[in-house]
Amino acid sequence: MSILNHMVQYSPKVDMTFAALSDPTRRGILTRLGRGDASITDLAGRFDMTLTGMKKHVQVLENAGLVTTEKVGRVRSARLGPRRLEDESAWIATYQQMLNARLNRLEDFLERTKGAP
Amino acid sequence: MTNSLKESTATSTVTTPSDREIHIERIFNAPRDRVWRAFTDPKLVAQWWGRGNKLVIERMEVERGGHWRFVEHSPDGVHGFEGRYREVTPPERLVHTFEWDGMPGYVIVETATFEDLGDGRTKVVNNSLFYTSEERDGFLSSGMEQGLNQSYAALDRLLMELD
Repeated sequence: MSILNHMVQYSPKVDMTFAALSDPTRRGILTRLGRGDASITDLAGRFDMTLTGMKKHVQVLENAGLVTTEKVGRVRSARLGPRRLEDESAWIATYQQMLNARLNRLEDFLERTKGAP
Repeated sequence: MTNSLKESTATSTVTTPSDREIHIERIFNAPRDRVWRAFTDPKLVAQWWGRGNKLVIERMEVERGGHWRFVEHSPDGVHGFEGRYREVTPPERLVHTFEWDGMPGYVIVETATFEDLGDGRTKVVNNSLFYTSEERDGFLSSGMEQGLNQSYAALDRLLMELD
């Protein structure tokens, strides 16, 4: 039973970072925010995108913990999130988590098939 | 079984010699031949590499220069990974490159060495070295640029001759 639990175990956080990083615009947003905070409107203008489109991208990054936003008056501004990782270091951190998850799975697999030829 | 899991976990170490390198040492409770096969037999790889997600092994040519391409179907989407084998020395050493479709051009060189501990256990030493944009830029500004200029000069000469 414990092995079965291990079997379905994966890291949702890793997958969210993957999803967040898989888009070049979102990587661009992280790089831009690495240089300083920006409003959603600024970002939309910079990436030649509608406000709604930019809000969606920022939301994906926020869900992955890579970005936080704050509304001051009528302006919503974005900054690098608690994980404070820019695209490249976010990828390295994600890779490391994935590698660990893979080795955990390998461990489970070898235990499960113990004694097999 | 629970004990052996704990034991294996207790002997796992992770270090980052530089921020471009990840070094993991881990002891598995299995003989070296089985661990080697778990890394090199597609039927076995399919059972663990995907972290519990469905894994499609599109290509896996375990030989020097051979390609590999795995596609993982996670709840958040489909992610492709691929690379080339650089060194295949059974059952001791496996070196390959690793790239994720989401970050094209960010190549990682993964080196796994398998050490027989003589008691039915195997130590796997995994080293991952990142070739990042900075390093690529450094590469560009050094020898590669010169090589590129030489190539362009040769191309110029060829085009002149064609005139």
